Amino acid sequence: MKALIVDLNRCNGCYNCQLACKDEHCENDWAPIALAQPQTGQFWCRVDEEERGRMPVVRVAYTPTFCGHCDACPLIGLAPEAVYRREDGLVVIDPEKARGRRDLAEACPLGMVYFNGDAQVAQKCTGCAHLLDSGWSQPRCVDACATDALRWGDIEDFADEIAAGAADERLEGLGSHVYYVNRPKRWIAGTVANRGENEVIIGVPVTIFDADGEVVAQVETDEFGDFRYCECEKASYRVRIEAPGYDAVEFDADCADRDVVLDDVFVDMLR
Amino acid sequence: MIISEKTVVHNLGLESFGGGANIVAADVLDGRLARIRPVHFENDYTKEELNYWTITGRGGKTLEPGMKSYMPPFPLVYKRRTYSKNRIPYPMKRVDWNPGGDRHPEMRGTSKYERISWDEACEIIAKEIKRVHDEYGPNSILCQADGHGESKAINTPHGCMTRLLGECGGFTIQNRNPDSWEGWYWGAKHAWGMDPVGQNTHSTNTAQDIAQHCDALLYWGCDLETTTWGWGGQMASRMAFWFEDCGIKNIAIAPDCNYTAVVHADKWFPVFPNTDAALQLAIAYVWMTENTYDREYIETHSDGFDWFEYYVLGNEDGVPKSPEWAEPICGIPAYRIKALARYWASHAVSIAHCNGGSFIRAAFAHEPARLEVYLLAMQGVGKPGRISIKYIEWVLFGMSSCSPLPLSKVIPNTAACYNGPLIGQGGDSFVPKVHIHKALRGEKLEWYGHGTAADPRADQFKHFRFPLEGDAGVKMLWSDNPAFTTSLNGGYEFQDALKSENLEFYLVQAPWFEDDARFADIVLPICTKFEVSDFGTDNDSGQWSAVTFEEAAIDAVGEAKSDWIAVQEIGRALEKFGGVYEGVVQRMTKGKTIEQQVKEGYEACGIPEEDRDFEAFKKRGYQLIPTEEGWEDQPVGLAPFAEDPAANPLETPTGLIEFYSQPLATMFPDDELRGPVAHWRESGDGHDDRRSSDRAKKYPFLIVSNHPRWRVHAEFDDVEWLREIQTCKVIGPDGYAYEPLWMHPTDAASVGVADGDVVKVYNERGSVLGGVRVTERIRPEVVYMDHGANSDVIVSGVGGLDRGGAINLICPTATTSKNADGEVTSGYLVGVEKVDVFELAAKYPEEFNRNRYYDASYGQDVRDYIEGA
Repeated sequence: MKALIVDLNRCNGCYNCQLACKDEHCENDWAPIALAQPQTGQFWCRVDEEERGRMPVVRVAYTPTFCGHCDACPLIGLAPEAVYRREDGLVVIDPEKARGRRDLAEACPLGMVYFNGDAQVAQKCTGCAHLLDSGWSQPRCVDACATDALRWGDIEDFADEIAAGAADERLEGLGSHVYYVNRPKRWIAGTVANRGENEVIIGVPVTIFDADGEVVAQVETDEFGDFRYCECEKASYRVRIEAPGYDAVEFDADCADRDVVLDDVFVDMLR
Repeated sequence: MIISEKTVVHNLGLESFGGGANIVAADVLDGRLARIRPVHFENDYTKEELNYWTITGRGGKTLEPGMKSYMPPFPLVYKRRTYSKNRIPYPMKRVDWNPGGDRHPEMRGTSKYERISWDEACEIIAKEIKRVHDEYGPNSILCQADGHGESKAINTPHGCMTRLLGECGGFTIQNRNPDSWEGWYWGAKHAWGMDPVGQNTHSTNTAQDIAQHCDALLYWGCDLETTTWGWGGQMASRMAFWFEDCGIKNIAIAPDCNYTAVVHADKWFPVFPNTDAALQLAIAYVWMTENTYDREYIETHSDGFDWFEYYVLGNEDGVPKSPEWAEPICGIPAYRIKALARYWASHAVSIAHCNGGSFIRAAFAHEPARLEVYLLAMQGVGKPGRISIKYIEWVLFGMSSCSPLPLSKVIPNTAACYNGPLIGQGGDSFVPKVHIHKALRGEKLEWYGHGTAADPRADQFKHFRFPLEGDAGVKMLWSDNPAFTTSLNGGYEFQDALKSENLEFYLVQAPWFEDDARFADIVLPICTKFEVSDFGTDNDSGQWSAVTFEEAAIDAVGEAKSDWIAVQEIGRALEKFGGVYEGVVQRMTKGKTIEQQVKEGYEACGIPEEDRDFEAFKKRGYQLIPTEEGWEDQPVGLAPFAEDPAANPLETPTGLIEFYSQPLATMFPDDELRGPVAHWRESGDGHDDRRSSDRAKKYPFLIVSNHPRWRVHAEFDDVEWLREIQTCKVIGPDGYAYEPLWMHPTDAASVGVADGDVVKVYNERGSVLGGVRVTERIRPEVVYMDHGANSDVIVSGVGGLDRGGAINLICPTATTSKNADGEVTSGYLVGVEKVDVFELAAKYPEEFNRNRYYDASYGQDVRDYIEGA
């Protein structure tokens, strides 16, 4: 059984995986594994990108997204005669037997199956089975990855990554063979400064409380007067900033929908 | 299943000029490119054979070259580039250009084309060359033969015509400016030498030094996740991740949270475009007033510091360059500037660069470039963990001292089979690229310096004129790089120059029908990379240098011929005139076949005879060159200078870092913008682009224009697979794919636009259209648009309108400053206004309806420009 490990800490957003997939499958007919992919519009490997934070704490979360080749792939249930699972775990749609089955393209909870109107066939990632069968050791997306963000191999070789990682939550319970490690959590960030003196304040204790008022974490501002706590859940928090010699200030930080970057916090000039 | 019938190895670098990068393997099936993929070195070499290296940073974290090539995205889409709908299918002539009668220069950029045969085309071209030679002389033919392009040597995309014209009495050449290095070239060289481009050329073993000793890297306008892609590959990205693993803090300083910052940066300082000089001066001010710079180093390693100190402290003009002074100029709060200055003074800090961007391609860019050297000096540059490092061009111009990583023992070159001109090796009759507008209009001009990237510092003091005594000036333009308007200065003014009566014949040879090609009188179709055989190199991977035996993989697309063959066809037509043209093809080719040239290229590439085996090279398709023995013992960057400046001097007149440049003071005593000591410059020499300027009332945004993420300058704008990536294009309400314009949410609200709206980006030079992308990745009062979008002319020339969004159409024509001939293509003022594309279409029906074959998925289609197609 094969597995794909996606290390989100190592993805630089270059799209090589998405593009290599297109290079392999657009204009190339690999029947009976796959018919040619249309030139645009299908993403058998798809890089999702989400802009996070706001100036000046901004990041982009790139998430390469793949067919999970799930143990309980819903396509097989829908069309057992046309969708099959190979010994190596790859789930393949037989383009001949699946002809006309538009419903297959609707069945993946992750939206990784597409309907090719011209060929009248549902299409998706094959794990580059045609290449593996011809002696390749890995699919095109993994081969093209320049930063080792994608790693492919036998499932037993990745015990640590699989223990530490998780499948895409939309595939939960289906037995996806794509495991994400180092998925970033939400953050709360800010800067503490004294505007009167035009100085940042270093070493300010910052306490993060959850919705029940329990202390979740304590961090300190760094040499730039910045603090950042990066282990937030999709929940609301309260932030208490206690610069020595100044009144404490508190803010709501609702991480339910997004990361929170506070406006620069200016403490009173009591000194 | 047959997955490949044949595999070839090519370099897909886009630097051209006989260089090379991005080694790939391409599989061919049924006569077409099937896939393009990394080369797996482990199939052909052992680590021992390659003298495999490992370098170690803090915490024992290691970096290794790896055993496959780390290709960037562009090679992966080269199939689509090769089979683009915008390939020129056959030779074409502008319908209303009649060399025997009316030439209608005013219709360039407007009228369509008709198909002609290669024979007809060559006959017309040969007659024109002969006519220009007879009427005006050889120097009246201007060769525009530079810029980026496919990295081929025998079939070089730039300059084959110089081999032909060189045999017929000569030519005038456009000298390529140091386009990605402007500020360093025109400024930093006067502070610390570092010929030829002014960036640190003493980089040996600096990657390991940084990994071991550096606390923070300042990514100053540096986007290694973009700018490396055309000519380097992704070892740079691996190196950046490794530095993170070693615990180095990454601090990005740029108006935009660029593609590197959003992945690698711990902090982002969103400085206003082209105000880095104010930020730098304020940092120096903090160090001077708090006495936190390396005084001893300054005393022993520099010259003229007191001039700088006098200025910074406000003694010269009554204005101390304090953080409070800098804040309204550069947009960084004073408290943050102080924090940065103090952090820098108390830690080992290095600067990371990757060319391009507002920092180095704006007006007066020589000032921030020099100030950067001053700051580095004030913190003891060359001491452990304190250096300026580049993520790109690791063997710039074949120099072995530029790489921060271990290098191969030989840096191979293609010189023996290269059929173009080398940068900086033109004849006496030349025009700096940034002044080409004037030459096309038939004006006389004068300037200082050859202004190519390859010249030493002192060249900037030489005075030149065009045309030469007795010459008639430019009458014919022969271009193999018709992408000036998308990539250089003053695009709309250049379009007007192309329409000048003075320009009697404009010939273009190119693979794709892009940009300036649509102004040409004759257009010739040229082969791309995989259609030709060649000899190549890959020197900038950071892994091993390679040579490539590049076998043609596919037939020529359409009627295309290689540049080298196309020029020979013209030569053959010229031979009929006899005289100076007699036997010209034999003279230029010396009768050599492509095969012979590949062999000669290999034999003279620099690999010693005992390591050469042509048959093995041919069979394998490439050869890697092992890492140099003893690389571990090479000195670390500028450490020798730091340790003993007298024994290891820089290339400046004093051998030291010069805060005061005596040559600038002597040669240009009246230069108010590039004086002997770097200063904050508000305006002058044709630039008035500060937020404090009156012009800002009309054009309130400063624009950032970087090297494009999804293009290499003008290339790749036609690739479906790139265009469907979220950050590549914005589809307007009319279904057209517009070039993205980034706006901060506060600015979008004040202008009244939302994501996906089409806007006009404009100033007094004209307008281009763009599609709004509302984002936190750009600071307020600044907008961002990559250069290089394929132009789609609605109204050409100054005051014009472009639908494609080629932003350099509206950048200034004025150069960096009057004695510094750099392009100013970022950091200038623009206005932004929402437009109704349907109203525009009603106003310009012909231009908006021209796009019958246009498709948002791939963009423009050459057939829309061919009559009756």
